[in-house]
Amino acid sequence: MRSKITMKLLRQIAYIAASAMLPVLAAPMHAQNLTPDAILHPTPDSWPSYHGDYSGRRHSKLTQITPKNVNELGLSWAFQTGQTASIKASPLLVDGIIYFTVPDNIWAVDARSGHMLWHYNKPTEDGDHIGQRGVAMYKGWLYFLTPNGHLLSLDAKNGHVRWDVQVSDVSKGYWTTMCPLVVKDHVIVGVSGDMDNLQGYLMSVDPETGKTQWRWDATPPAGTPNATTGGMTWITGTYDPDLNLLYWGTGNPTPVLTGKTRPGDNLYTCSIVALDVDTGKLSWGFSVSPHDTHDWDAVEPPVLVDGQFHGQPKKMLMQASRNGYFFVIDRTNGKSLLTVPYGPTNWTTGIDKDGHPIPNVDKEPTPDGRFIAPDEGGMTNFRSPSFDPKTGLFIVDAHPSYSIYFAKPADGYYGWAGADYGLWGKGVLEAIDYQTGKIRWSHDLGPGGSNAGVLSTDSGVTFTGDAHGNLLALATADGKTLWHVGTGSSMNSSPITYELDGRQYVLTSSGGVMFAWALPESMAKR
Amino acid sequence: MKKTLSASSLLLSAFALVSALACAPSARAQAADAHLGAQAYAKHCAVCHGEQRQGNLPGFPPLLDINRQLKPEQITMLIRHGRGRMPAFPNLPEAEVSELLRFLATDPMSTPASASGASSNLADAGSHLFQRNCAFCHGRDAGGGETGPDLTRSKLALADVGGDKIGEVVRNGRPEKKMPAFNFNSEEIRSLAAFIHSQQKKASSRPGGRRGVDVSDLQTGNVEAGKAYFNGAGGCAKCHSPTGDLAGVASRYEGLQLERRMLYPEDTVSKVEVTLASGQKIAGTLAYRDEWVLGMRDTEGIYHSWPVRSIHFTVDSPVDAHVELFSKYTDDDIHNLMAYIQTLK
Repeated sequence: MRSKITMKLLRQIAYIAASAMLPVLAAPMHAQNLTPDAILHPTPDSWPSYHGDYSGRRHSKLTQITPKNVNELGLSWAFQTGQTASIKASPLLVDGIIYFTVPDNIWAVDARSGHMLWHYNKPTEDGDHIGQRGVAMYKGWLYFLTPNGHLLSLDAKNGHVRWDVQVSDVSKGYWTTMCPLVVKDHVIVGVSGDMDNLQGYLMSVDPETGKTQWRWDATPPAGTPNATTGGMTWITGTYDPDLNLLYWGTGNPTPVLTGKTRPGDNLYTCSIVALDVDTGKLSWGFSVSPHDTHDWDAVEPPVLVDGQFHGQPKKMLMQASRNGYFFVIDRTNGKSLLTVPYGPTNWTTGIDKDGHPIPNVDKEPTPDGRFIAPDEGGMTNFRSPSFDPKTGLFIVDAHPSYSIYFAKPADGYYGWAGADYGLWGKGVLEAIDYQTGKIRWSHDLGPGGSNAGVLSTDSGVTFTGDAHGNLLALATADGKTLWHVGTGSSMNSSPITYELDGRQYVLTSSGGVMFAWALPESMAKR
Repeated sequence: MKKTLSASSLLLSAFALVSALACAPSARAQAADAHLGAQAYAKHCAVCHGEQRQGNLPGFPPLLDINRQLKPEQITMLIRHGRGRMPAFPNLPEAEVSELLRFLATDPMSTPASASGASSNLADAGSHLFQRNCAFCHGRDAGGGETGPDLTRSKLALADVGGDKIGEVVRNGRPEKKMPAFNFNSEEIRSLAAFIHSQQKKASSRPGGRRGVDVSDLQTGNVEAGKAYFNGAGGCAKCHSPTGDLAGVASRYEGLQLERRMLYPEDTVSKVEVTLASGQKIAGTLAYRDEWVLGMRDTEGIYHSWPVRSIHFTVDSPVDAHVELFSKYTDDDIHNLMAYIQTLK
């Protein structure tokens, strides 16, 4: 009896000892092996994809920084890119190393100290250098898109290029800025380009070889009579592993400001689509701006939420769209649950029975001008919103705004094909109740508007930036300011958070500088 | 090294401005003389300054129109002694130098070797820069696009000479309009300006079908209805008077510029009166306001700021009345009001 217990105990001790040793042995392997499973189930010490996880909620479970102590937040480190280009990338964090970008540049930076490990810098002559939204990672490889339409795979250890494939033709007018999304053994890549009448598409690339696995076309080939072109795919989408569906927003139709040559709804431009991630086959599509003539891309993150909707459990998709409407959709079938404006809009005659806004033909651009809300930058844009599950609030950096839109036959039917002028706008952080669309609280962000994305945490803190370049920490419950700091330039990216060595960091960028914020070490250990 | 270069390019631009009217010999004579010079150029200069004299920015300036910027003696000095990263050529035979000088004075438009043209080469270099950095907002043809104005109609761009005005905007940006600043050197600015000017020429030479908004496009309203709106529903007469502040407004502005000012005059100043803890009052114009700090310029133009919690203040922002109208306007209201405002000459 006694010996049996002893034996069992010994066996247990041996087992514990062995398992304690395992991580030590496994660590070096792990450091270069970001598995698809680790992207699916991100650990608190990582931010392994554009949105942090596949849901696009930009909500963290971390609770060390609270509404009570956030006023103690201080600068842990700052990293200066030394570039005039503004950081528009969402940083990636894997194994203690942060990766972020501006066009033609990638930096790998130690997440603890902010010191640089390597810098990839290869200027390109062609393609629009409007922005770069970050890198994706699979195993030990990074995926980076260049302004001239190439997808590069680089060694995360040193930034050396492993392969380089062309994913879009810059000579036709395409360019690429987006952050790819890795799902299983697929690298999902989208394209940009609305200065020409070009077909928009989304494609899946083999992470090892760069070979195209599938391509989904948003619109018919250029030159198809009475058909639209456009539907670019320039913001990273989201993914539901249970349904095996990718959710992606598509951009405006072309020609942009005139709809004469493209009658109808112009599917699938300004739409949200659900695609089988393994085949690229369309499961459903939902037109957010049928027959758009105001450049309101519907590429804003399609946020995935499981929860109650009017008493029924639903698998939902939510989008605060550039056209000024907030959409809740059943993501299993693409059926509308709610369509409601979240700021001033004047371009529809109502909402149809399926939840699509009905465009008012009298609000299409004309030679003498049409007065339009919101403006072309839209009620929101590439910046990410956040969904806070505790309060059920969808928090978005909104931009109430007015403008005038013109188009005349002399503008032609190619590319922009008109002119529009913003008159006035401001920034307002809005907390939308997803079940009703009612705005539960709003927080002024200043004249002109802010480009900052939003991050919320389980402790009830929401981070964003204002129009003046202040970084803000607000109470998620009521939107009151808890803490702020002037950063010298406005935030053009979306914040992330992670915990390393028992300390929670919040990472924000302003202009060309990346900042890491944390509580004092003495407090963090408590 | 870099400093020397940018200083010299600044110098070049300065020369370009003061000596824009140099005479050149007839095109045919140039072409004949230029042959030997072209060979000398190809041998010694083209490797850095480009086969078409287009330069290779930012390091190597274009030599197109160099005769308009530098006198022959100055060019000779440069060739003989070098400057910055440009090497010296002390042993180049005298005859070859003078052929080179003659070649550099030719107009490449007239020589078959560079059929694409002189200013268009500078403009080509500018086009690259423009496509990468400016086209997204201003359109690929500079005719306006996503958020950026039409530069082919911009008064500032039209008044620009060799980048003097465009350069200022590009280097400083227009933060209030969200235009970022770009760190371009003088040669790059010159090339950008050349591209924009070439686009202005193209746009104005398109007969009839001029893109963008013309004054004639904005004549669809009804003057009487506009006047009624001004004095009635619009509430404009509460602050404005056709014989007071708006007298002659349609002579000062026209077309789109007038309509935009009518809808939202963005340069309107807000007045602010601050009462300090001591009870002292200071009045001025609002210069900055966020959740924590209020900034103002007093009547002397001196800037002051305070934490908002330490003061009492009132802001008088007359432009807010324009914002309140936004949710009430119909398109007809705007066109009618515009018709009426256009009569205030």
